[in-house]
Amino acid sequence: MRPIGRALSFALLAAGLLSASAKAADPKPFRVGVCYDLSKAYTFATPQVSQAALDLAALVNMKGGIGGTQVEVIVRDHGNEPQRGVECYSKLSRDGVFVFDTLSTPVSLAILPRALKDKRILMQSLVGRGDAVDGTVFSWIYPVGPTYWGQAANDIAYIKKLHGGNLSDVKVGFVYFDYPFGQEPIEILKTLSEKEGFELILYPVPLPGSDQASAWSKVRRDKPDHIISWMLGGAHVVASKEMKRNGIPVEKYISVNWLNEVDISNIGADAAKGIKRGTNVVGGQDIPLYKEIVAELYQKGQGSGPVEKTRDVFYNTGLAMYSIVFEAARQAVSLHGHPITAETYKAGLEAIMNFDANGLMAPITVTASDHGGGGRTRIEMWDGATWVPQTDWIAAYQDVVWKVVKQSSSKFDGK
Amino acid sequence: MFYRLSGVHHNSYVSESRLYRIPADRNLALFFLALGLVAPLLVGSLYLNSYLLPWLVWTAAALGLNLVTGWAGQLHLGYAAVMAVGAYSAVHAAKFGIPWEFALLIGGISASVVGSLFAFAALRVKGLYLALTTLAMQFVMDWVLTHSPAISGGSHASLQAPTFALLGQPITSDIGLYYIAFSWCLLVTVFMLNLRRTGLGRALVAVREKDYAAAILGVNSFYYKIVAFATSSFIGGVSGAVLVATFFFLAAPEQFSVTVSIQVLAMVIVGGLGSTIGTFFGVALILLAPGVVNGIVAKGAIALGLQLNVETLAHIPTATYGALIIIILMVEPLGLGKLYGNIRDYLMVWPFDQLKR
Repeated sequence: MRPIGRALSFALLAAGLLSASAKAADPKPFRVGVCYDLSKAYTFATPQVSQAALDLAALVNMKGGIGGTQVEVIVRDHGNEPQRGVECYSKLSRDGVFVFDTLSTPVSLAILPRALKDKRILMQSLVGRGDAVDGTVFSWIYPVGPTYWGQAANDIAYIKKLHGGNLSDVKVGFVYFDYPFGQEPIEILKTLSEKEGFELILYPVPLPGSDQASAWSKVRRDKPDHIISWMLGGAHVVASKEMKRNGIPVEKYISVNWLNEVDISNIGADAAKGIKRGTNVVGGQDIPLYKEIVAELYQKGQGSGPVEKTRDVFYNTGLAMYSIVFEAARQAVSLHGHPITAETYKAGLEAIMNFDANGLMAPITVTASDHGGGGRTRIEMWDGATWVPQTDWIAAYQDVVWKVVKQSSSKFDGK
Repeated sequence: MFYRLSGVHHNSYVSESRLYRIPADRNLALFFLALGLVAPLLVGSLYLNSYLLPWLVWTAAALGLNLVTGWAGQLHLGYAAVMAVGAYSAVHAAKFGIPWEFALLIGGISASVVGSLFAFAALRVKGLYLALTTLAMQFVMDWVLTHSPAISGGSHASLQAPTFALLGQPITSDIGLYYIAFSWCLLVTVFMLNLRRTGLGRALVAVREKDYAAAILGVNSFYYKIVAFATSSFIGGVSGAVLVATFFFLAAPEQFSVTVSIQVLAMVIVGGLGSTIGTFFGVALILLAPGVVNGIVAKGAIALGLQLNVETLAHIPTATYGALIIIILMVEPLGLGKLYGNIRDYLMVWPFDQLKR
């Protein structure tokens, strides 16, 4: 029986290969360059996101591709090194790829000047410089999704709603990695604190966030009503331990979008009950697109990774990112037909209107001036088993956010 | 046979102090110089700008570190910090309107000043203690960069470099940028090759071998250590600035983080302490091998029809690369430069090995 099974699986493999090569023989598939850090600092999210990208591409191809064109996702590792990111970018762009994503701030920064010069699309959802949402300056850069500034502003809007619209005697603590990623929202929080009258207290945490004792004893002393956290991965677990030690209820904790089920299970699914996160994608598995992928791919054994990894908000984040990538290609084809070029793809991106990938994420509208798509997020709460939305999709304080964006982008000298 | 020599024999001091004692070595060097000059005609812009250019700039930087670690024997774990000083001051100077020629110089000098200031404090201790002190310099610099938006360029900490220009001519083409990197690397290489022939070089070696023995010989070891730090910091600073001006086009703290310091040190150690040609090899291995191995593994997996998970695909090259470093250092602890030297020495009088080398 065994040899037969083995022979069968070989035959299947060969068939798969043949079909793969047949697909490759199709005239010019639409290709996306996914240069990710799969081996160093960003591994808390990249496996799930790239798995989502591969699954989504498989699903799109299964349904006949984009107007008949197959899609291909090329995943390469750059180990979070700018030099290797540039190498990945140059190599793929020589092969004719014109849509890239890096999911790494240092690499995104290193590729940005080249993408602007070479006229390639750089998708940089959730990473890289936030002022790139200003399409008038960064014409080829598309950080579709919320900026950290917008996300922080939306968190404040949520807190304002909780307090009935008056923040004058509210204390908001901000716990952050003492590093550009964590420092980014400070400016906007300070502006909003002046505007709304709440008291803002800053608690810097040194990288990598394994030692937060001093920050949290200060939190205990100051007793802020809410704590906004700008940290990643294991640092959330350390924070929750420190909160417990200092008798601070976990409900006060509002995380940046980088908090997932892995962190929750490390904290303990019950202990994490009430923890909140800002997000631009729907958490949990009750999503039409997710169900379709599980039914079409994973139940037929064709998923591009273990199914457990898909039960993760970062997987949903990946689905959202690549839904946008493929939707833009669809728009490009419907506007300008085949073949898709960098220019028509750019037009396709800017034709995206109120797109939410069938209830997967906050609806986005990309325009020539707003490459962020509106920057809507919402707050979700962990109820012990899944994520429960606490607000609608909101994009608050857009005037303040855009003022900071313009201020920053005006200093960029693209020449 | 290959070198057409019966051995290396000197019959005058001039011949002994020549840059190349073996004509074949000189010819090889000239050949590679010519190859470097015509490289833009031979290879496409991908290889020119994503492999050759960073390789040359990093080689220049690593040669600077080799000066202080390989020649003067002082372990330096904060070299990326020095490069950062050079890069940031040059970019700020260029943004201020100072021509790039002077901006590079300013970058080098400020790196040199910061590097030697630190050395004043650090050189009170030796060996591992010195290594730790230089590591402290790296952390201080990391902290400064992430906490002063005025230096690092706003809340995103990315500082755009103005277009590189020489004599008022903006240089934007791939070939032009390559030649900038090439000339800088050439300059540093020539300097390093000639170091052996100078009093400075001999003093540095004396300090490396035993600093108080050097003092007995009349070599002021503290002075020469400072000189070594200042010179290597100058080279590092300009290299950092050239790297930003020709390759990254912007400066960000991650480009000069502690991991980069360790990487440059690895380049020097794998290449061979005190070896110029070894540094070229070491940089090629540390800088380019991961990407190349990555490409080979990805292609190999497709060719063999292996349906590998993307994460596995990412980790195989990293493991291969690590193994490669270990194997090289086990085969020849003195690095790739020595490995090359061994081959050369073996072939020097081959097949007449019984003759004196």
